Parts: sequence; C-alpha cells; structure tokens
Amino acid sequence: MLRKRLIFTLIYNDGFFTQSRNFRLQKVGDISWLEKNYGFKDLAFSLDELVILDASRESRSIVGFADTLSRLVENVFIPICAGGGVRCMADVEVLFENGADKIILNTIIYENKGLVDDLIKKYGSQSIVASVDYKKNDVFIKNGTQKIDMKLHDYVDYIDSLGVGEMYLNAMENDGTGFGYDLETAQKVGKNISMPLIVAGGAGNEKHLIKGLMTNHIDAVATANLFNFIGNGLPDARRGIIFNNGNIAQWK
Amino acid sequence: MKITIVDYGMGNISSIIGALKYLGVGVITVSNSLSDIVSADKLILPGVGSFPTAMNNIKKLNIDKYLRDSVLVDKKPILGICLGMQLMADSSSEDSYSQGLGFVKGSVRRFSESSLKVPHMGFNQVVIKRNSKLFKGLNNLSDFYFVHSFRMTSDADINQSECTYNDKFIAGYEHGNIAGVQFHPELSQTNGLKLLNNFITYF
Repeated sequence: MLRKRLIFTLIYNDGFFTQSRNFRLQKVGDISWLEKNYGFKDLAFSLDELVILDASRESRSIVGFADTLSRLVENVFIPICAGGGVRCMADVEVLFENGADKIILNTIIYENKGLVDDLIKKYGSQSIVASVDYKKNDVFIKNGTQKIDMKLHDYVDYIDSLGVGEMYLNAMENDGTGFGYDLETAQKVGKNISMPLIVAGGAGNEKHLIKGLMTNHIDAVATANLFNFIGNGLPDARRGIIFNNGNIAQWK
Repeated sequence: MKITIVDYGMGNISSIIGALKYLGVGVITVSNSLSDIVSADKLILPGVGSFPTAMNNIKKLNIDKYLRDSVLVDKKPILGICLGMQLMADSSSEDSYSQGLGFVKGSVRRFSESSLKVPHMGFNQVVIKRNSKLFKGLNNLSDFYFVHSFRMTSDADINQSECTYNDKFIAGYEHGNIAGVQFHPELSQTNGLKLLNNFITYF
C-alpha cells in the first residue's frame, strides 16, 4: 500500500536555519549548530522526506545555500526537495548538483510558465513541486509578500494543468502558530487535483500530524516547527503515528 | 572494491554516491568511459527521466556496447535503479516504442488509467521473492521509496519481487549478474542501505 509521508521543512535564511511565525523569521542556528545539537542524521531517520527552503531576504547567494544543502544531505538517505528563490534554469542545476532530488517552486509557478515547462521537460514532472502560500482565498508569491490576481481555487486548477509532480500547500495564517493545519481547505484542494498534496502550516504537535495523515486527499504532512519537533519530537511523532495505525513507512 | 556509476547525463546521483560511501565502498567513479566500466568490480546504472532520451544518450556515448560486453560477456554485476532498471528491459512504450538494452526479458509501459495519482510517489511495500539475494535480511512487505510513471512487467522468470499500485509491477529483479530495482534504495532509509549492501556483498 502506498504510504503517506512525514516531511520536515528546514527554512534557511542568510546562513541560519530559522523558525517561521506567520512568515516572520526567527534565527535559530547554523548548520554546525544543527549537526552538533541535534544530530541531523538521527532526526532524518524519522522522516520520509526533507524540504529545505532558502528564504534569505538580505544577501541571496545560491552558492552558500547549495553548500549548506550538500553538507546537510551527506548522510541523509531520503528524498531532498530544495528551493526558495529559484529564478532560472541555472539555479535549478546548482541545486540538483548539490544533492536535491526535487525542486520546489513558488513565484516561478505564477510568473514563468515557460520555465516550468522547460524544467518538466528536462527533469520530469516528479522532480517539480509547486508551492502555494495562501491566506483565506488569496494566494501570495515572493515569500508571501505579494498577492496575485487569482483566487486559490483558480490557481490550484492552473497548477494542475501545468503537469508538475506535487503541490505543497501552505496556510500562511496557520504558519508557525502550532495550532494545527487548515485541513478543510487542504481537503478541498486535494480532491480537485491530480497530483499528490503536501499540507503545511500550523502543526504544533504529533496529534496535528496524525490528524493530517488520517485526512482523505492528503498525501503528506509537513512541519517547519523547529522548536516543537526537534530533539525527540520527530521520533516520538513517528512512533505515535505508527501506534495510531497511520499509514506510513517503517524501517528498522 | 571499485563501483562505477554509469553516467549518461540523467538523474541525480549524489545520493547514490553518498550511500556507497556510507557503506564503505573504496572507489566510486561516475563515468561513461570504457576503461572505468571495464575496471569496475560492479556497475550501477542510475537514471531519472525519459526512456527514449536515455537510450539516445546511451547509444550516442556507445555505452550500450560497453555494457553489453561487460554485463553479458564478462558477467560483471550490475544494478539498475529506477529508469536504469527499466533500460535493461527489452522495450518501452514511453512516448512511442523504443528498444531497451535487452539484458532481461520485459517491457515498460505507463500505469493504466485509474483514480490513483501518477506518478506513483512515496514509500510502498514490496512483496519479496523468498530466495532473493537483493532483499536478503529484509522482511516481506518492507517499504521502499518509489517515484515513477512507467512500470516494468515480464513474463520470464527473473526472480521478480513485486509492488502494486493499481497495477502489479516489478519492484526488483535479479537474473544472474543482472539486478534492477524500480525504487530508489539510496532514498529508502536503512531498508535501502541494506539492499545496496546486499548488491555489494552477494553479486
């Protein structure tokens, strides 16, 4: 049986990993800190996939991000999806060369359909994840700063027509609150698209993850909540999901 | 031990390199040169992307000839991963009919129409053939990470381990020195590492 997935999203900002609260970023530590304090390898053992997003706003450097990416993935044997600020084919090439298995796109999905087509042709649908940041019925691009002229359901239909591999649906209002996912919207979206759906924004504890995984039309749950899930949080959550008969993969 | 990962310009191989390093493989080469293929103890044929494009690249680089000599004549162990596993079959109907390397009997076609989403993506359980060397020490129904829209089937006995996603298809095969897996062992946590280690140890 095809399993559902537990995903952790690391948000990278100017050399540091951060905690996001309603899209306001709070620096937590750099990669050495993450390795030293949390043994990232052990953390990854509890995950099905890892998303790493570059949310740098001041000094954007794809080289620095790629370097962190390649260090991060060294001993991690799960799919890595990287993105954030991807603008051209060259950016994508750098990320693939440094360990990414998939690329997550946000602004480009709205602004540059031609590039999305080219990327699908070159790397295949399964390598491209469309990220959608929404608030109620509105959709935002550019790190959540710019509202677009399409409503959520129209935008979701548009993405479905692109032929990308997956959708990463992030509820901006829930982001970083720890109050739980917006499952109502996610379920509606999931029912209408032909690609797998990852729901993000709001998970604060293992119950939220379990509830998300038990919801129809949702294929994966993601959390970027470093504070709540680092340490024993993720291993405990995974055990909890399995204990509750959640349909996720097991390994020894 | 030298493992050559056959490079025909398609697919992310950094995780495969990482996994082989982790398993202590001494020399890992990413190459399409005859000398690296001949001098390797074992070969890995990776790949993500389109079957026809891959076959074109392979022919352009003469890799098909090099591999035929090494795999069919010298009996060098080879592991195909994902598209690499499919390329060793007879043919694929992706886009239109294309011939594969033909090292094992079998054909590749798209998942049939159903309510299930394609690509088949994520961890799924594998029904493991009992006498499999590749899956030695792994429990039946172990989980592995799949990402693919096309699937391989075969009428021949190539010791298939199977997976089902609407259609039943080959998750892993082994035929003498030739082995292939549809999933990505390098992205399948400890289950995948164990499988790669089995290939290194038993083939």
